Amino acid sequence: MSEPAPHRHGLEAFFATAESTPDARVEIGVLSNRGFLNVRLDPRKQQNVRTAEQVLGQAMPLVANTYTSGRHRVYWLGPDEWLVETGAGDAATLGGELTAVLAGSGAAINDVSGGQVALRIAGADARTVLAKGCTLDLHPREFGPGQCARTGLARATLLLAAADAAPSYTIIVGRSFADYLCRWLAHAARPHGACFSTR
Amino acid sequence: MAAAQPNRLQHGGRIDRSRPLAFSLDGKAYTGFAGDTLASALIANGVALVGRSFKLRRPRGIVGGGAEEPNAIMQVGEGAKTQPNLPATQIELQQDLVAHTTRGWPSVGFDIGAISDFFGRILGAGFYYKTFMFPRSFWNYYERAIRLSTGFGEAPASPDPDAYEHMNAHCDVLVAGGGPAGLIAALVAARSGARVILADDGNEFGGSLLAGADAIDGAPAMDWVAGVVAELREIPDCVLLPRGAVLGYHDHDFLTLAERCVADPRGPGDATRRDIRPRARERLWRIRAKRVILAQGSFERPLAFCNNDRPGVMLASAVSTYIHRYAVLPGRHAVVFTNNDSAYRTALDLAGAGVKVAAIVDSRAGGGGALAAQARVVGIPVLQGRVISDVTGKNRVRGVSIAEWSGDSWENVTSTVRIDCDLLAVSGGWSPAVHLHAQAGGRLDWDESQLCFRPAHASEKQRQSHDSAGAGNGRQSLNECLTDGLRAGTEAVAKLGLEPAAIKAPAASSAGEAPIEALWRVPAERDADRCPKQFIDLQNDTTVADIRLAVREGYRNVEHVKRYTALGFGTDQGKLGNINGMAVLAAALGKTIAEVGTTTFRPVYTPVSFGTVAGESVGGLYDPVRKTALHESHEAAGAPMEVVGQWHRPWYFPRAGEDLHAAVARECLAVRNSVGAMDASTLGKIDARGPDVVKFLERIYTHNVGRMKLGRCAYGIMLGEDGMVMDDGVMARLGENHFYLTTTTGGAANALNWLELWLQTEWPELEVYLTSLTEQFSTIAVAGPNSRGLLEKLGCDIPLDRDSFPFLTVREAVLAGMPASLFRVSFSGELAFEINIASHFALDMWRKVLDAGREFAIAPYGTESMHVLRAEKGFIIVGQDTDGSVTPVDLGMNWLLSREKDFLGKRSLGRPDCLRKDRRQLVGLLSFDQRTVLPEGTQLIEKTGRTTPVPMCGHVTSSYHSACLDHPIALALVAGGRARKGDTLFAALPGSEPVPVQVVSPVFYDPKGERQNV
Amino acid sequence: MLLITCPWCGPRAETEFSYGGEADIARPLDPDALSDAEWADYLFYRGNPRGPHREKWNHVHGCRRWFGVERDTVSYRIARSFMLSAGGPGADADAGPESGGDANTEQED
Repeated sequence: MSEPAPHRHGLEAFFATAESTPDARVEIGVLSNRGFLNVRLDPRKQQNVRTAEQVLGQAMPLVANTYTSGRHRVYWLGPDEWLVETGAGDAATLGGELTAVLAGSGAAINDVSGGQVALRIAGADARTVLAKGCTLDLHPREFGPGQCARTGLARATLLLAAADAAPSYTIIVGRSFADYLCRWLAHAARPHGACFSTR
Repeated sequence: MAAAQPNRLQHGGRIDRSRPLAFSLDGKAYTGFAGDTLASALIANGVALVGRSFKLRRPRGIVGGGAEEPNAIMQVGEGAKTQPNLPATQIELQQDLVAHTTRGWPSVGFDIGAISDFFGRILGAGFYYKTFMFPRSFWNYYERAIRLSTGFGEAPASPDPDAYEHMNAHCDVLVAGGGPAGLIAALVAARSGARVILADDGNEFGGSLLAGADAIDGAPAMDWVAGVVAELREIPDCVLLPRGAVLGYHDHDFLTLAERCVADPRGPGDATRRDIRPRARERLWRIRAKRVILAQGSFERPLAFCNNDRPGVMLASAVSTYIHRYAVLPGRHAVVFTNNDSAYRTALDLAGAGVKVAAIVDSRAGGGGALAAQARVVGIPVLQGRVISDVTGKNRVRGVSIAEWSGDSWENVTSTVRIDCDLLAVSGGWSPAVHLHAQAGGRLDWDESQLCFRPAHASEKQRQSHDSAGAGNGRQSLNECLTDGLRAGTEAVAKLGLEPAAIKAPAASSAGEAPIEALWRVPAERDADRCPKQFIDLQNDTTVADIRLAVREGYRNVEHVKRYTALGFGTDQGKLGNINGMAVLAAALGKTIAEVGTTTFRPVYTPVSFGTVAGESVGGLYDPVRKTALHESHEAAGAPMEVVGQWHRPWYFPRAGEDLHAAVARECLAVRNSVGAMDASTLGKIDARGPDVVKFLERIYTHNVGRMKLGRCAYGIMLGEDGMVMDDGVMARLGENHFYLTTTTGGAANALNWLELWLQTEWPELEVYLTSLTEQFSTIAVAGPNSRGLLEKLGCDIPLDRDSFPFLTVREAVLAGMPASLFRVSFSGELAFEINIASHFALDMWRKVLDAGREFAIAPYGTESMHVLRAEKGFIIVGQDTDGSVTPVDLGMNWLLSREKDFLGKRSLGRPDCLRKDRRQLVGLLSFDQRTVLPEGTQLIEKTGRTTPVPMCGHVTSSYHSACLDHPIALALVAGGRARKGDTLFAALPGSEPVPVQVVSPVFYDPKGERQNV
Repeated sequence: MLLITCPWCGPRAETEFSYGGEADIARPLDPDALSDAEWADYLFYRGNPRGPHREKWNHVHGCRRWFGVERDTVSYRIARSFMLSAGGPGADADAGPESGGDANTEQED
């Protein structure tokens, strides 16, 4: 493993050719070099949660459909399932540490960095564009920063999180759906003007 | 310009005389004004004839002023943008609008089909059933002739270039209808802090106030409307949707609404940049509301008198609308015919606009209330206790016959007076628009004093989240509507737990009214079945006589009568005539209207275009295209794609000049003789682990999972509880309590849900976690005798020889500098490795594999070659060689069924049906002619011959030309097939003689399996 | 479109869920002890009632949990959603086996 191959999210071609409009009211971006861990453990065994939190250096969200921010983002996916978003280079190490400290607890840690793509949807009309394909109530009173939900957008299943009140949203989607989803978002955003970013 | 609009008033109306708009109807040019509808502009131009009736081809004119219009159904726009079935009363006039009448072939003025008026008697109720069904075989001819001379316009022939979109929305209170009741309900809700959506299908809020000269709090009512709308616009969480028709009230307070956007100056984005931002033509709102207030007003009913369909017979309220809202006069010499007080207002409106009102004909012996007195004051003759017994004029009303009437509605009368007129304004009372209430499951009560169905709220209110208000709730005066709207809005916010804002009900003037009296069928000089036609449903030409005929022929239920007479079948869904029809039915049956009841109210409320329903998700966005990590490379290689589930997989990799067959033959031979590489990334992959994982998987899979050693792979199948094969795949044991499962491409999601179902609901005590890794890992299958050499060339940190890395094992390795899991499994029967690699590295790995393979003449191969290679080996594809009715025993997989444990579906394999000797079993087939590739799905028969029916004994499931065997091969399911090896069957091919085939083993190539195990 | 309350995620649109048929059908502990008729009864026969129906739903596009819904098959009114097993993660440990950790998610009053 002398030269690690570059991380490819598969959207390189899409973002290379997407044309931004001036005065765009929606930003569609891809967040490169992210690493992801899927964490399964039984939260009723409180020791497991504490152990994981020590390694993560932050709290695990135990309230449904919320996430915590710190060194990483930890999203609630289900009552015994979380997604840790971290740097691409950190996922393997962090996953190894979690696996080690949770050995024998029944927990399951999987590195899913290769299977996830993180997108950013922001701007004045971001909420409107999302509402074209998502049945969640995205009103800031109902879905504000700190909240997330696995849900449907267009015809893809994904994790949607309110990143900040700007507003901006984070979408984490299975990589095979990412190209379709970006095309759908770009289409839905046309009346609002869209700009495309990679970061 | 105005001179071109002979019926336009000089003053008044909500039109903009400074903005003339040119438009055309049937190629003839006209001019109207901004603010007009197509209907009002046509009336302004004196166009009376707008269509022909559906069945009898009678000339028809504009009847209504809104969604209820049955006659003026237009085709708007041309070419790809054309839209059929739009009522002229709802088409906002635009510059250069091109409209066509839809029911007048060859033209509205001269209609060849009008000859059928002559045959009116034979075209009575149920005429399709009775006239054209015998002999049955002739229906095709009848139908063609009928279709040619009828129809409601044309669907566009090319793709719609316009954009459409969907919008999901949530609100605390949805108010449907922006008339007086809806406006005040929305105002109180919004002021109380509720998230409000206020929708109205018109282009302006105001509802009935747009059509009158009412005053609220001493000022013009439209001033009050403007004030409320201005305030609502300033409230951030209040969404105003003019041009928004609520189409349907669905389960759990989900409502659909179609918004026409083009003429909307608001809308998303920056209005000044509209030119470069394609805006939606229509938007479908999908609204989830906590509370719903239905304030859609009411529809005026016509009266059923002889020749009541002549152009110039118009609803009284529509006449008022045209005068007040559009400043047009629908006629110069008017007669008003009514059984209630509201039409007196129209008479006063007409007189006020300078129209001579020759008479108000009131069927009530006692006449009207305060408005009648006003009419007399302005000099309009009021004829009480009289009815209109007939209408003269064909393409336009010329006069009416009037008869005295004693009050018994079915008695024949004698006409005594004839009055000339060109406009007959009619009112038969009002029906609240209860459609959405009924769609929501609300019941209706018959109100005998107002003669209408109104929402039954009192008993159900506690359970419902919707309420009705205003005229739609049976309230009649403006004052009552405002009070009721305020009540509904206040109650809605209180139910939401909000503090209702205090609002004083605005006050409107009101006049004392005399009660309505029933007049469901107007008496004529002859009885109902012999007098000139008395139409109930104008769009479908359903008459009083038709309904009575249906009853004589034995129809009793309102739903049956509807279908037999086509009452309410049109694009207007009977908004005009349904209640009259039900009353006529009730009279014919000797029942009350309440006993007969209504037909079912179904979505949609008004016609909606397909584009609106389809929304954003059209073209390439219709269904997700799932791409593997290697997609970019496949595309660059020019590989055609095969859609598998939602995945796009390379089908084959053609070289210059190659077709599918040539490419597949080359690819297959490369795998058999050297090496090929395939993208197998779409296989489902599941990480299964936990202390109880073995116990769990033993119950799911049919083989002995616990006996698998660490690092071993095994082929496994999952059965449904019915014993039928559900999914299959290779699994690997990665640790004591850690497995890696693969599933079929198409079944990946279902398989995981199936596992979770058992884990979560039946065996929650088992500590197992299942995590999908389908997206995480890409799979590159490297197959062929040179595959080992290829991996060695790539650089692998583990030994790859047979003893160190035997068949059906898994190893972690670093391959070409990248971490990967290597599986020694084979779906081709050759020595093969499957490289599992994190998807973000997969493209680099694929390129390295192809690079390194060059010296072996490696061939990337697609799904077609994969199918051929596996079929040569007799390997099945679940879902192709199985169809949900195939057991593992049928497939000859008894060796996979453990006798030592229970597993899902095991008990079913012992059911008598699964033990039948004649079950269809997997076999191979060879064509005797060595060249016929049987189409998949071909039925197999025992013998040829002309005796029908021919018993079928099986069917072909997979069929290909095998390049390495140089003849066709097929897999088939044949009744009792395993015992029939060597038998001859016949493949029944369409259009040719049956082809003889021989039943053979399904394994055509390397039956001992030596090649994969080297 | 139904509004279904997931016991974990709260009310969500029907499109996020998949239907799993009648609830409360326990798999026989010893299938081999059953007659063919008894096994067929478990396998094929369902109540299909007119009125309240306890059924399984999977929040397949959400938290991936299976849970129970009591739905009226005539009015489609949903009386409540409930967890199917008290032993499931995130369930209230004190919830009795019958109530199965009723999430008390009345949707309509």
